Amino acid sequence: MRRVLFTFLVGLVGAALLHIVIVLSLPQFTGRDAYTRILGLLEMDSFFALSAEPGPTGLDNSDPFLRTAVCSFSIADAPARFIARGAVPFWSLSIFDSGSNEVFSMNDQTAVNGDLDLVVATPIQLVELRKAPPEALAQSIMIEMKDDEGYAVLRALAPLNSFEEQVRDFLTESSCAPFRRQ
Amino acid sequence: MFRVPLLVALALVVAFVGGMTSAVWALKATIGFGSIAIGPWVAFPEAQTVAADPYAKAHRARAGELLYGSAEGLRFTAATDDSGARLSAACSYDISGITPPARFWTLYAATTGGATLRPGTEIPSAINSWVVLRAKDSSFVIHASPAAQPDNWLAIRHTGNFQLVLTLLDTPTAGSSGLIDLAMPKIVKTGCGNA
Repeated sequence: MRRVLFTFLVGLVGAALLHIVIVLSLPQFTGRDAYTRILGLLEMDSFFALSAEPGPTGLDNSDPFLRTAVCSFSIADAPARFIARGAVPFWSLSIFDSGSNEVFSMNDQTAVNGDLDLVVATPIQLVELRKAPPEALAQSIMIEMKDDEGYAVLRALAPLNSFEEQVRDFLTESSCAPFRRQ
Repeated sequence: MFRVPLLVALALVVAFVGGMTSAVWALKATIGFGSIAIGPWVAFPEAQTVAADPYAKAHRARAGELLYGSAEGLRFTAATDDSGARLSAACSYDISGITPPARFWTLYAATTGGATLRPGTEIPSAINSWVVLRAKDSSFVIHASPAAQPDNWLAIRHTGNFQLVLTLLDTPTAGSSGLIDLAMPKIVKTGCGNA
């Protein structure tokens, strides 16, 4: 009897270890985290506007008043630049790394003139940009990202149906592209 | 003579079954630690950051949702009313009071799994801070009900349980949780069935 009890105890210790291993390693292999889903849209370097119904990747506009566009990008070769202009009641942008950790987030009130103009660069690219700032980036916000890959989420608010067109224009005219010096 | 292999097998079965079911259960039951709860409303202001605990990271990797950045907003969900009873789609609820300071907020109903309820455009299934009707002191009462209601009606077309999602956009609540006095709307059941 005592041996059976001891076996159970050993089993429980094993269960605790396995529990910890599963929880810690799960983010690496779920295959349905936000970054993998956005890569599944097969649209690199441009904002992809999500629909109200979940698409094949399972991403949708979960909030009825917020329209969302996502963009996966890589800054391994060149910094990424995000631009959006237009009159919407509210917009916000978040940059996440490939592990879905927030790197940076902003909204229209924290932007220069209410327009989105953001450059994401690796620390080395950022040093180069600071040494000789290009004319085009005079107004840009520059942030540093350690990870080479990530995704951006741009949200715009349509509080009433009549804003729908404005918000759609805002999202379709936004850009997410590698920045190269001329 | 098979005692030792039997005991080893028992230990292995306990370890694997226990480890896997407890991990799955833990990830289903909670989004992680570090929540702020105000009445029935629960939010996770750090779930999207690198500082999130391992449970929150595992949960967000399984759910694959686009989380709000700290400058974007904070999403509160409520699965129960103020008395602690689960929200049932057969009942009517009054959501009354004020929200914490925010530039904008939206309120809608979702399934317990988190999918937005979209009953159609002809009935009001979501309310925001621009369209809500308020009292003189800027407080509001929203009637979440399957039957049509006067004033602010949040139509619920669902069977079983549901949850309410209140998103505060551009709110200081997201950055300084706990430092300011937060007041969230109360959720009170007003009746069930067609009565």
